[in-house]
Amino acid sequence: MLNITIIAVAICICIALILNLWRLLKGPTISDRILALDTMYINAIALILLYGIHARSSLYFEAAVLIAMLGFVSTAALCKYLLRGDIIE
Amino acid sequence: MNSLIWLPFLPLLGTLVPLLSAHLSRTACAFLTAALPALTLLLVLSHAGDIFQGERFHAVIPWIPAIGLDLAFRLDGLAMLFAILILGIGLLVILYARYYLSAKDSIGKFYAYLILFMFAMLGVVLSDNLIQLWFFWELTSISSFLLISFWGHKTEARKGARMALTVTGAGGLALLAGLLILGNTVGSFSLQDVLDNGDLIKASANYPIIVVLVLLGAFTKSAQFPFHFWLPNAMAAPTPVSAYLHSATMVKAGIFLMARFYPALADTNLWFLIVSLTGLITFLVGAYIALFQHDLKGLLANSTISHLGLITLLLGMGTDLAAVAAIFHIINHAIFKASLFMAAGIIDHESGSRDMRNLNGLWKYMPYTATLAMVASASMAGVPLMNGFLSKEMFFTETLHQASLGSLSWFIPVLATLGGVFAVAYSMRFIHDVFFNGEPINLPKTPHEPPRYMRVPVEILVAICLFVGIFPSLAVGDLLFAAANATLNGPAPDYSLAIWHGFNLPLVMSIIALIGGLLMYKNRAHLFKFQAQFPASDPKLVFESAIQWLTRQSQALIAWAENGSLQRYVFFVLAFAVVMTASSLLKLNTTAGQRPEIPLDALSITCAVLLCISALATVIWHRKRVVALITLSVVGLIVSLAFAKFSAPDLALTQLSVEVVTVILLILALFFLPQKTPKESSPRRIVRDLSLASLFGGIVGTISYALMTRPLDSISTFFTENSKTGGGGTNVVNVILVDFRGFDTLGEITVLGIAALGIYKLIARMRLFMPSADGNGLAWSEDRHPMLLKVISQSLLPLALLVSAYIFLRGHNMPGGGFIAGLVTSVAIIQQYIAHGVEWIKTRIKFDYQIMIGSGIGIATLSGLGSWVFGHTFLSSWFDYFYLPVIGKFELASAMIFDLGVFLTVVGATMLILANLGQLTTSERPTQQEHE
Amino acid sequence: MQHLSIFPVLIPLLFGVIMLLPPISRSIHSQRVASVVGCLFLLLSCAALLYQINNQGVQLYALGGWQAPFGIALIADKVSGLLVLLTAFLALAVILYAVAGQDKGGAYFHPLFMFQIMGINGAFLTGDLFNLFVFFEVLLIASYALLIHAGGKQKTQAALHYVILNLVGSSLFLFGLGILYGTLGTLNMADMAIKVGQLQGETATIAKTGALLLLVVFGLKAAMLPMHFWLPKTYSSASAPVAALFAIMTKVGVYSIFRVYTVIFGENAGELANIATPWLWPLALLTITIGSIGVFASPNLKTLSANLVIVSSGTLLACAAINSEAATSAALYYMVHSTLASAGLFLLADVIARQRGKAEDRFVRSRPFVQPKMIGFAFAIVALALVGMPPLSGFVGKIMILQATQSSTQTMWVWPLILVGSLSALVAFSRAGTTLFWRHNGSGSAEAEPAKPLEITSIGLLLLTTPLLVIFGGVISEFTQQAAFYLHDIQSSAYGLLPGVSP
Repeated sequence: MLNITIIAVAICICIALILNLWRLLKGPTISDRILALDTMYINAIALILLYGIHARSSLYFEAAVLIAMLGFVSTAALCKYLLRGDIIE
Repeated sequence: MNSLIWLPFLPLLGTLVPLLSAHLSRTACAFLTAALPALTLLLVLSHAGDIFQGERFHAVIPWIPAIGLDLAFRLDGLAMLFAILILGIGLLVILYARYYLSAKDSIGKFYAYLILFMFAMLGVVLSDNLIQLWFFWELTSISSFLLISFWGHKTEARKGARMALTVTGAGGLALLAGLLILGNTVGSFSLQDVLDNGDLIKASANYPIIVVLVLLGAFTKSAQFPFHFWLPNAMAAPTPVSAYLHSATMVKAGIFLMARFYPALADTNLWFLIVSLTGLITFLVGAYIALFQHDLKGLLANSTISHLGLITLLLGMGTDLAAVAAIFHIINHAIFKASLFMAAGIIDHESGSRDMRNLNGLWKYMPYTATLAMVASASMAGVPLMNGFLSKEMFFTETLHQASLGSLSWFIPVLATLGGVFAVAYSMRFIHDVFFNGEPINLPKTPHEPPRYMRVPVEILVAICLFVGIFPSLAVGDLLFAAANATLNGPAPDYSLAIWHGFNLPLVMSIIALIGGLLMYKNRAHLFKFQAQFPASDPKLVFESAIQWLTRQSQALIAWAENGSLQRYVFFVLAFAVVMTASSLLKLNTTAGQRPEIPLDALSITCAVLLCISALATVIWHRKRVVALITLSVVGLIVSLAFAKFSAPDLALTQLSVEVVTVILLILALFFLPQKTPKESSPRRIVRDLSLASLFGGIVGTISYALMTRPLDSISTFFTENSKTGGGGTNVVNVILVDFRGFDTLGEITVLGIAALGIYKLIARMRLFMPSADGNGLAWSEDRHPMLLKVISQSLLPLALLVSAYIFLRGHNMPGGGFIAGLVTSVAIIQQYIAHGVEWIKTRIKFDYQIMIGSGIGIATLSGLGSWVFGHTFLSSWFDYFYLPVIGKFELASAMIFDLGVFLTVVGATMLILANLGQLTTSERPTQQEHE
Repeated sequence: MQHLSIFPVLIPLLFGVIMLLPPISRSIHSQRVASVVGCLFLLLSCAALLYQINNQGVQLYALGGWQAPFGIALIADKVSGLLVLLTAFLALAVILYAVAGQDKGGAYFHPLFMFQIMGINGAFLTGDLFNLFVFFEVLLIASYALLIHAGGKQKTQAALHYVILNLVGSSLFLFGLGILYGTLGTLNMADMAIKVGQLQGETATIAKTGALLLLVVFGLKAAMLPMHFWLPKTYSSASAPVAALFAIMTKVGVYSIFRVYTVIFGENAGELANIATPWLWPLALLTITIGSIGVFASPNLKTLSANLVIVSSGTLLACAAINSEAATSAALYYMVHSTLASAGLFLLADVIARQRGKAEDRFVRSRPFVQPKMIGFAFAIVALALVGMPPLSGFVGKIMILQATQSSTQTMWVWPLILVGSLSALVAFSRAGTTLFWRHNGSGSAEAEPAKPLEITSIGLLLLTTPLLVIFGGVISEFTQQAAFYLHDIQSSAYGLLPGVSP
C-alpha cells in the first residue's frame, strides 16, 4: 500500500517539477522564474522526504530541513536583488 | 706545479689592484697595476730554461667532472710564447695607457678591464682542458666587449662592441659545440689526450663537424673572411686596447687555437681546403681594403686582418715548415703591429685627428715618433733587416712548395706576392701620407712630440723589431723552436733563421712586392678613383640593420602570437587537451565495460532530463544574467538530489550549501555588472568555441562512461574497513576528510582562507559604478529592509545555529561535519546581512573574520602538531569513549578539534568575502540617497 | 629529527597564520620581522633536511600515521630536498627585497607570501598525486592574490588571464586525477608507479588519457608551448618581489613533469612507458624557439626576463624529453641556476626601472642612473649567468644539458636550439645593457631614490649564488647526479617507499 502511494506521489512530484521548469523557462517576468525556482526547492524537499520514507531512514529528514533553509535564503536573496539591486547594504 | 696554477691567477688578483689604487696618482696606479703582471712574466721566464730543453709542465685540479671541466694548466713552448707576448706587450700597454687616457677617463676601471682581459687570455693559452679553454675563450670576448665599449657614451663604441661580442660570441658557441664533440670523440677533455689522439679524431665520423665548428670559433675570433668585418669597427676602442687586443693578443687567439689543435685536426684535405682558402682570401681582402682606408686605425685594422689571413694560410698549408713560419710571423706581427697602433695613438693624441686626408707632413712636428713608425711600417711591409721580412720570406718560400691545388697550385705564390704588393703599398701610405705629403689640414691641435714615457713602449717594440730582424737566432731562436715543437706535438723540422739565403725565388718575390708596392702607391689616385665607383657600405650599418630587421620580425611574430586574447589562450589549452585525450581514445575500441548496470527508473530519467534542459538554458541565456543564475540554481538543485539518491548525503548537503553561497556571491556581483551583455562573439568564433566545447565535453563524457562501467579495485576499501576501528567514526567520508586525508583538508581550508584574503585584497580599494535603476529602468524600491524578511530571518538564526552545531557534532559518525556546519552557519549569518544590512550587524556581531580564518587554520594545524607530543606523525588522530552522567557514553576525538578548525575557516572565509563584497556599496549609498 | 621533512610546509603555514592573528596582524613592522624570521627558520630547516637526506637517505613521512598507499606520504628525497632548499633561499632573498617597502602596496602581502611558499614546498615534497593537486591549489590561489598586489588596471587584467587559465588547468588536473584513480585505484605516486606496470589493454588506454591530460596541466604551469602565452604579460606586470618569487613557479610544473613521467610513467610503466616523451620533444623545442624569439623581441627588461623564463622552461622540458639520468641531473642543476638568476633579474629590473624616470625599464634613451656602477655590475652578472657565458653558472648547466643528449638525432635538434638561444640572449642583453647604461641624455637627476640597502642585499644574495654554483660545481653536480639516479631507479623511488612491497 505504502509503495503504491510512494509511486503515486513520486509521479505527481515529477509532473510538478516539469511544470515548474516550464514556468521557469517561460517566465515571462523574473518574479515568475524565482517563484518557480522556489517551488522546485519545495518539490525537492518532498522528493527527499519521500525517498526517506521509501528507504526507512530518518537521515533524509534532516537533509530536507537544510534544503528548506537554503532554499529560503536563496529565494530571499534573489528577491532582495529585485527589490534593491544590492542585497547586502 | 703550484707556481703554474698561480700564473693566470696572479693577474686575476691583479684586477683588484687598479680598483683599489685608483684614488692614488695615475703613475702610482699604473705601477701598482703593472706589479703583478710583471711578477707573472718573471714566473713564466723562470721556466724558460726547462721549456727550451723540451720539457712540458702540467697542473690539474679536478673541478666539475660532470662536464669534463678541470682546472688544468700546461706550460709548453707555444703556451710560453703566447704568455710572453700577452704579458710583455700587456706591460707596455699599461705604461702607454697611463699617458694616453685623459683625465676624464677612469683609469682604475680601464686597468681593471685590461688586467681582466690579460687573465682571460693567459687562461686560454695555458689551458690543458678543452672546457676550460672555452671558459677563458668566452672571458676574452666579454672583457674585450668591456674594453671596446670603454667610451660607451659614443654610438660607434656601443655598436662596435656589440658587433664584436655578437660575432665572437657566436663563434664561441660553435667552438663549444666543436670542443664537446671533440672531447666526446676522444673520451677525454684533457688537451694532451686530444693532441695524442690525432689519428683517432681524423678517422672519426665526427671529424668534419669538429673541424668546421672549431674553425668557426677560430675564424670569428681572428677576424677571418667572412667574419672580418667586426675588427675595424672594434677600433672605436681606446688605442691601447687596439694595440693590445686587436693586434697582439685577442685576435691571435683564433690563430692560437688552430696552432694548438694542429696535431689533432690538421693534415687532412678538409683542413687544408678550409683553412688555406680562408686564409688566402682574408690575406688579400684585408690588404686590399687597408689601402683605401682614410682612418689611420682603420688601415692598421685591415692590415691586421690581412696578416692574420697570412698566418692562417700558413697553418692551412699542411707542412711543418709552414707551421714554423706561422709561429714566427705571430711573434713578428704582434711586435710591429702593437708598436704601429701605439704610434697611431700618439699621432691621434697629439694632433687630434686620425684622418690621413688631413694628417700630412708630421715629420716636421714629431720626427722622433715618425722615425719609430717608419721602422715599424717597414717591418710590416717586409723590408729586409726587419723582423717582418724574415717571416715573410719563409711565407713566400712555403707558398712555392704548395702542390695541393694540383695544376692550379701556382696561383698561391702569385696571389701571395700580390698580397705583398698591397702590404707595401699601404705601409707606404701610412708613412708618406702621414709624415710627408705636404702640410697638415685643419688639425684640431698643433702636433708635437708626446711625453717622454709615452714613447718608451714604442721604442722598446721597435728595438725588438730590429733586433729580431738582424739577429734572429739569438733573439727568438730558442723560443721559436720550443713553440714549434709544442705546436707540432713532436720534433720541429730543420729550418734556418738566416737573413740571407742567397738569391732565390722568394727573394725575387720580395723584391717584386717592394717595387710593385711602391709603384702601386705612386699610382694610387687611379686606384682610388676605381674604388670610388663601388657604393660605400658600412658593415656597422648593415649589421645593425640586420639585427633590427630580425628584431622587428620577432616582434611581429610575438605580437601575432600573443595577441592578448584570453579566449585564444583558453582555446589553445583546451584544444591541446582535446588532442592529448583524443589521441589515445581513438585506440579504445569498446567504451562500455563489464560492470552490471543499475536499473533505470522514471524519476531518475525525469531528473536527468530536467538537468539537461536547465543546463542548456543556462548556456543559451548566459547573456541575461539573472535568468541564467536561476536556471543554474536548478542545475545545482538536481545535482544534489542525485547525490542524495546515490547514497551520498554528505555530498548532497555540501553541494547545496556551496550552491547557495555561490548564488549569493553572484547576485552580489551582478549588481555591479550590466544586466545584459551585448553579443560580442562573431559567428565564426561561436562555431569554433561550440565545436571545441562539444568535442571536449564529449570526450570527458566518454571517459567517464568508460570508467564508470568498469570495475575498480582501489584503496577506498581500506578506508571503509578502517574507518571505525582506526579513525573512530562510522561516517567514512568525514573520517577521510579529517583523518585519513586530513592533510588534504588542511591544504584545502588554507586555500579557502587564502581565497578570502585575496578577494578582500582585490576589492579593498575598489570603487565601482553603481546603477541607480534596474535593468528595465525601474528605480529601486525604497524599502531597504522589509519588516517581514527581518522577522523571519531573525528567527531563523538560532535555529540554523542549532542545526549547524548538531551537524558538526555528529559529523564523525553521521552525515555532516565541520565543512557543512560552517557553510550552514555562514548562510544563516548572511541572511541576517541581507535582512538587516551591514550597519545593524556591525553593532551586534563583533567577529573579525580575518582572525577567524587565522585561528581556524591555526587550530587545525595545532591539532595536528599535538600528536608530536605523543611521538606520532603530524595529524595522527586520537579518540576514546567516555561516560558522563546525564549525557551518557560519548566519544572524544582529536579529529573534532581539527574539524573545529575547518568550521572556523569556512565561516571566516565565506563571511570575509560576502560581507566585504556587500560592504563595497555601504560607504557610497548615503550620498546616493541624498540625490533621491 | 623525525619531523624535519614536514617543516618546509609547516613553518610557512604557521607563520602565515600567526600573521593573520593579532597582535602581529596589526602592524606591518611586526609582520616584516615575522616574515624574515620565518624565512630564516625555513632556510635553516631546509638545510638541515637536506643534510639529513644526504646522511640517512630518503625521508618518508606518513601523515596521520597512515602508511602509504592509504595515507598521504611526504617524500623528502634528494630531488625534493634540493628544491625546497632552493625555494627557502629564494624566499629569504625576495622577502628581504619586499620588506624594503614593496610589501605596502596592498593588504596581506606577508601572509600570502608565506602561504605561497607553503604551497610550493608542499608540491615539491608530497608523494601523493591528489595532495599534489591540493598544493597546486594552495600555490595558485596565493599567486592569484599576490599578482594583484600593488594593483592597477593592467595588473588586474594580466592577473585575470592567469587566474582563468589556471582554473581551466585545475579542472583538467581533476579530470586527469579522476581518470588515473579510476584505472589505478590509488593516489600514492610510488604505488601508482608499481600498479601502472600491470595495466593492460583498454584500461591502460584509458589511463593514458589521464596521464596525458596531466601533461597539459603541468605544461600550462611550466609555460610549455602552446600554453605559454600568459606568461610574459603576467610576469612583467607583477610587482618585483612577486615576479621574483614566480621564477620558481614554472619550475613546479617542470618538477611535476619529471616526477610523474619519470617515476610513474617512466621506463617501467609497461604499456604506458615513456608516454610523454613523443609529445615533449617537439613542444620543448618549440618552446625554446618561441622563447628565444620573444627574448629578441622584448621592448623592455621585464618582458625580456619573462621570455627568458620561457626559454629556461623549454630547456628543462627538453631535458625531460631526453629522459635520461644525465638529463635529469642537468635539469636539476639548471633549475637551481635559472631560478636564482631570473629572480635576481626581476628584482634588478625593478631597481633599474625606478631609477630611470619615465623610461622605466624600456630600451630607450634615458637619464643616467643614480647608482650606475653597482647596478651595472649586477646587470653584467645576471646577464652573463642567464646567457650562459662563463664564468657564471649558466654555462655549467648548459654544458650539462648538451652533454646529456644521447643520440645524434637528439644532438642535432637540441644543440643548435640551445646554442642559438644563447646567442639570441647574448644579442638581446648586449643591446639592452649598452642602451640602459650608456645611452643617456643630460646629467644625473637627483629625483630618483637610490636602491635601499635591503634591496641591494637581496639582489646581492641572489647573484652571489651564480659564482658559487660554479665554484662548487663539482659537489653540486655530483649531488644532482645522485638525485637523478634515485629518480630513475624505480627500485628506490617506488618500491623503496612502500613497506612490504617488492617487485
